[in-house]
Amino acid sequence: MRIYTPDGEIGDAPGPLAAPRSVMSGARIGILDNTKPNAGVLLAQIAERIAERTGATVSPVETKNAALAAPDDVIARLEKEVDVVLTGSAD
Amino acid sequence: MSADSATFTDVDDDPIAIMDAYAARGWGDGLPMVAPTEARVDAMLAGAPGDPDDVVAILPPRSGAATRRMIAVNAVLAGCAPAQLPVLIAAVRALAAPEMNLRGVNATTHPVAPLLIVHGEIAERAGFNSGLGAFGPGNRANATTGRAVRLILLHIAGAIPGPGDASTQGGPAKYSFCVAENMAESPWGGYARSVGLDSPSAVTVHCGEAPHNAHDMESADPAAILDKLASAMTSLGQNNAPIAQGEYFVALCPEHAAACADAGWTRSDVASYLFQKARMPASELRAAFNLLAWEPWQRALPDDAAVPMTGHPENIKVLVVGGAGKHSCVVPSWGMTKSVTIPIEEH
Repeated sequence: MRIYTPDGEIGDAPGPLAAPRSVMSGARIGILDNTKPNAGVLLAQIAERIAERTGATVSPVETKNAALAAPDDVIARLEKEVDVVLTGSAD
Repeated sequence: MSADSATFTDVDDDPIAIMDAYAARGWGDGLPMVAPTEARVDAMLAGAPGDPDDVVAILPPRSGAATRRMIAVNAVLAGCAPAQLPVLIAAVRALAAPEMNLRGVNATTHPVAPLLIVHGEIAERAGFNSGLGAFGPGNRANATTGRAVRLILLHIAGAIPGPGDASTQGGPAKYSFCVAENMAESPWGGYARSVGLDSPSAVTVHCGEAPHNAHDMESADPAAILDKLASAMTSLGQNNAPIAQGEYFVALCPEHAAACADAGWTRSDVASYLFQKARMPASELRAAFNLLAWEPWQRALPDDAAVPMTGHPENIKVLVVGGAGKHSCVVPSWGMTKSVTIPIEEH
């Protein structure tokens, strides 16, 4: 018996990801804390370790609600002030 | 995607074989399904005329294209009748509304599930139950429409437990969560009209918890009845506690609704009373949560103030569901989502 598969096609793709940065030396690292428990602690420690090893600098932490996309003004600041962003930690 | 380009699979004509074949690819909800043959899907599509390949919505996190055809495929799988398809198509539109925040609904660790509330003429025509036992079990339209929404989220949206749905414990409402509004016994008219719709049929989608019961068989006084509902709303464990924009859907049984209306209370009076009575001390809430997504006026309240469990009386949505007896219920919100009520298009 022939039946449909239930998932269908993928719709319009979201925006493309930025190319990975090959050299971190001199880069500005941003932190987007989603305010989940320990996210800020974990991300800050990772940023500091990277900075120690590469000479990168760590920029002030931005925050967002874990359940929502980051607000436009936060994205605009990150776009202007940092080269890479650490985010995505969950409890 | 036309029928010609749609992906098909071959399985034995046996419910268990279909279930196993789907499960091997990560599909299904764990229950037996009706085989979505081309003939059945075509018959389902006849329930809502239109281009089968129209994309009704793109559903996150998979960014799956919910065409009428793929909605119909999942409706067949769930056991729906064609008359239910217009409800499903409208529900998918509602799920994709930005304020629904479906990406968050699907991804969260919370056990949130979309509650469908069917309003108006289509409820009777398609056989939905708004009366005794409306939340289930036993009625095909309620059970299978709710189930089809879940299958659409699993298959098209990719809300598969683990990679697409992080719900810590899951929940029974994630299998099926659909009722019809008991407009015949609503003393205040239909809910959809109360939010500005005048279409003959409509559907509301509210992403919330499974229902919390409130039982009162002693009182004829609205305040006494609603005090018990307010108690069910007042809990540190609900996301409404720290999130002011969170809504409550209050499904009054006909007898509780009649008691309120007989005393002269309007739908708005019920919501206002619950807003006044469902409160917790600010000190207790501040001690319980590191983060409080409160309105500015709530933040300004002193520690000894009683803080409402939601930021505005209009976040308390009141309607009538059910049959004889004196049990009503509250469906708290996941929080970072708003309900959507939209017309159901019929031809």
